[in-house]
Amino acid sequence: MAYSITDKCIGCSLCKKVCPVDCIQGERNKYHKVDEARCIDCGACGKICPQASVLDQDKRLCTRIRFRKNWPKPQIHVDKCMSCKICIDICPVACLALAYTPETSDTQGYPVLDVPQNCIGCELCAVDCPVDAITMQAGDVQAES
Amino acid sequence: MSKGYMGKVLWVDLGSGRIREEKIPERVYAQFLSGMGLAAYLLYRRIPAGADPLGPENILGFVSGLLTGTGSLFTGRWMVVGKSPLTGGWGDANCGGNLSPAIKHCGYDAILFKGIAHKPVYLLIDKGRAVLKDASKVWGLDTVVAEEKLKELAGGRRFRVACIGPAGEKQSLLAGIANDGGRMAARSGLGAVMGAKKLKALVLGGAQRIKCHDVKTVKALSQACNEAVQFMLPFPPSPILAYFGTLLRALPAQPNTDLMLFHTVFNLMLKKWGTASLNQFLIELGDSPIKNWKGSNEDFGPDKSASLRPEAFSDCMIVKYHCYSCPLGCGGICRQAGQLNESHKPEYETVLALGGLCLNEDPESIFILNDMLNRAGMDTISVGGTVAFAIECCEQGILTPRDVDGLDLAWGNSRAIIALVEKMIQREGIGDLLADGVKVASQKIGKGSEAFAIHAGGQELAMHDGRFDPGFALHNCVEPTPGRHTIGSQLYYELFQLWEQVEKLPAPDLLYLKRSKYQPDKEKATAAAACSQFVNVMNGAGGCLYAALLGPKRFPLFQWLNAATGWDHAPEDYLQMGARIQTIRQAFNVKHGIEPKSVKMTNRALGRPPLTAGANKGRTINIERMIRDYWEAFGWDAETGEPSPEVLNQLGFKI
Repeated sequence: MAYSITDKCIGCSLCKKVCPVDCIQGERNKYHKVDEARCIDCGACGKICPQASVLDQDKRLCTRIRFRKNWPKPQIHVDKCMSCKICIDICPVACLALAYTPETSDTQGYPVLDVPQNCIGCELCAVDCPVDAITMQAGDVQAES
Repeated sequence: MSKGYMGKVLWVDLGSGRIREEKIPERVYAQFLSGMGLAAYLLYRRIPAGADPLGPENILGFVSGLLTGTGSLFTGRWMVVGKSPLTGGWGDANCGGNLSPAIKHCGYDAILFKGIAHKPVYLLIDKGRAVLKDASKVWGLDTVVAEEKLKELAGGRRFRVACIGPAGEKQSLLAGIANDGGRMAARSGLGAVMGAKKLKALVLGGAQRIKCHDVKTVKALSQACNEAVQFMLPFPPSPILAYFGTLLRALPAQPNTDLMLFHTVFNLMLKKWGTASLNQFLIELGDSPIKNWKGSNEDFGPDKSASLRPEAFSDCMIVKYHCYSCPLGCGGICRQAGQLNESHKPEYETVLALGGLCLNEDPESIFILNDMLNRAGMDTISVGGTVAFAIECCEQGILTPRDVDGLDLAWGNSRAIIALVEKMIQREGIGDLLADGVKVASQKIGKGSEAFAIHAGGQELAMHDGRFDPGFALHNCVEPTPGRHTIGSQLYYELFQLWEQVEKLPAPDLLYLKRSKYQPDKEKATAAAACSQFVNVMNGAGGCLYAALLGPKRFPLFQWLNAATGWDHAPEDYLQMGARIQTIRQAFNVKHGIEPKSVKMTNRALGRPPLTAGANKGRTINIERMIRDYWEAFGWDAETGEPSPEVLNQLGFKI
C-alpha cells in the first residue's frame, strides 16, 4: 500500500519538497515517482499536487487543498488523553510536543500542536491514538473554491 | 504480512564500516518472539565462545519489542544485549524512554553492532539511510548534553537518541546507556561494551509505520487497560503507607496480594508517587537492604527514612514522565531549588542504593547523585552498592583515609559520597579501583573484603532482600543475568497472577505463615520458573515490568500478542517460548565458560550468618535446594544446571 503518481505529473517538485520521508524522486519538469517501500501514506503529496496526479493507497484520486492552513489539523481532547505520547512519536514532522505548566501543581502533561505550520494533516496521530483522544479538524476548504 | 514485527535487523560492522540488513525468517519470531528472544537466537549463534566482552567479537544489540508501536499500552521498553564484561555471560539491560518505537520506525526489530571503530562514531539513521558519523564533537559530553547536541546535528527534535556518557567512554563495568535525558539501560555493564567499541550513540529518525494483524482488537484491549489504570482514589499521605509496612512486618502471617487488593493499591501508588512510593514502605516491610546488607529497618527507622519519603521526591516534580505508550506515567521531571535545574525523579532503587544502603538521610544529595550518574551514564544500583562496600572497607580499616584520597568516607556522609562518586565517574584515584564494581574491587583489595562485596555472579544486588522474599535470592542466583530484581520473586508471582491464565500453575494461599516462604518445594520452583518464562515473553514483546505487576486486567499481554500477530496461542504456548528463550540464555553462559553452579551470591545476603535484629532477624535461605528445584523445573541437569542437547532439541533449537 502506498501513494502513487500518474502521468499527469508536470515535475513541479512540490510533492518532493513536502514529503516527510524523502520517498519521492524526480528532476524538475520531469515525472516524479514514489518509492512505494518507503511511503508512509501521509497524503501530503496528494493535498499539495496542483495537477491532480496523485493517487492514494486505494488508488483514489487525491484532492488538492491549496493552502496549507486549510489542511486538517489535530484537536487533542485532554479529557480522554492518557499522555502516552504515541501521537508525538508517530508524527513524521514532529509538530506535536508535550506541554505542561511548571508553575502550577498540575503535573500532567498533554500533547499540543506547537508547530502548526509544519503539520501535514496526515492524521496518523488520530489514527494511532489507542483511546481516540484526537480528532482532525478540517480547514476552511470552501474558501479555496 | 503485518504481525507487529518488522521482519529484519540491521548489522553494523564498526571495524569495516559495512552496514547491511538481514531478513529474519517468520519461524524465528514464532519460536522466540522479538526483542530479547530474537536477541538470544542471534547472539547465541553469532558470538564465538571465548569472545572478549570488550573486544571486536562481542555483539552489542539494541532491540525493540514485538508489541511496540502496535497500539498496545505499556509496551515501550527496549533492551540492550551482549556478552557482559561484568558477569562474563549473557548480558542485557532494559529501559523505558522513547527509543523502542524509534528502532522499528527505522524498519528494524534490532540494530546490532560488531567490531570496534577506529575512532569514535555514532550511527545516524534518517529517511531510510544508515550511516556512521564522526563523534569527535560529542565524545566526552555527558548523556544529557550529548543527546541535545546530536539531535541538533541531525536536524531536530524528531530524532531519538541512545548514548553513553563518560562512564561508558572510560569503560567502567558499571556503565549503562542513556535515553531521553536520563532513562537508563543500566545493568550488565553494557555501557562499557559500547565505549570499548567507540560507539557514542544511536540517532534514529525513521518514520515507517508499524503494522499489526488486528489493530481494532489491540486498541479495544488498550482501552480496557487504560480504564483500569486511570481509576483513581484519594491516597493517604505516605506515612500511612510506611506504617502499613510496619503492620505487615509485625504479622506472623502474610496476606496474599489479592487479599490486600494490592494490584489496585500499587496502581494508585505508582500514579501518585512513582516508585518513590516504595521508599519507606519497603524499608518497614523488610524488603530494603540497609547498611550494606548488614543493617535493618532498626538502623533506618521511620524517623530517619522520613527524609526520603515519597513526597520528598514528588513535591518538586514539574511534570509526570511517561515512557512511550504508557498510560500511567510513574516517572517525573523534577526541578529543585539549589544545584539542579531539571532532572529525572530518582527511582526507588536509586534512593535506597544511595540512601538506606549507605545510611544516607540527605535527599538533596540523592537528587545530585541521580543527576550525576544519569549524565555519566552509570548504574545507580551498582554504584550505591559499591559505595556502601567502600564505606564498610573504611569502617573496618581495610581502606585507610589515604587510600580513599583523604575522603571522610563514613555511613551517612553525603558530601563524601558525592565526592567518591565523582571520582568513580572520572576513574580518578580510588574511583578507578571502584569503577568496575564490588567483585573486581574486593578481589584487588582482598583482606577479607570479599565477605561484604554484595553481588551475585559479579552483578551488584538491587534493593530487594532475599531474606524477606527468598524468591529474590533465587532469581539473583539462577538467572542467566545474575543479580537482577526485575524478573521474579514470590511476591512477583502473586502479582503476575499467571495461575488465572494457566491451569497447571499453582495458586498461592490467600493467607500463609511467613515461615513457609523459606521452605523450598517443587511448587515454589514451578512458580519461579513461570516468572522467568513470563518475563522473557514480556521482554520479547517490549513490555514493562510494572505493568505486569498490575495484573492481567491491566496488562493483557497474551491477548495483545495474539491480536497483533494473528496467532492463536494459549498462554501456555507463550510460556513455552519463554522457556525456550531462558534455555538459550543459559546455554549461552555455558558456551562462554560459566558453570551455572559456580554462580554464587554473597553469603551475607543469604542470611549466612543471619541478621540479629530487624525484620529479617534469624532468616537464612536454603538456596542450594531452591536452585536445584528451579533447574529441574526447566528440565536442565539438576547437578550442573546445564541444558542438555536433548532439551534444546525438544525446544526446537539445535546447537
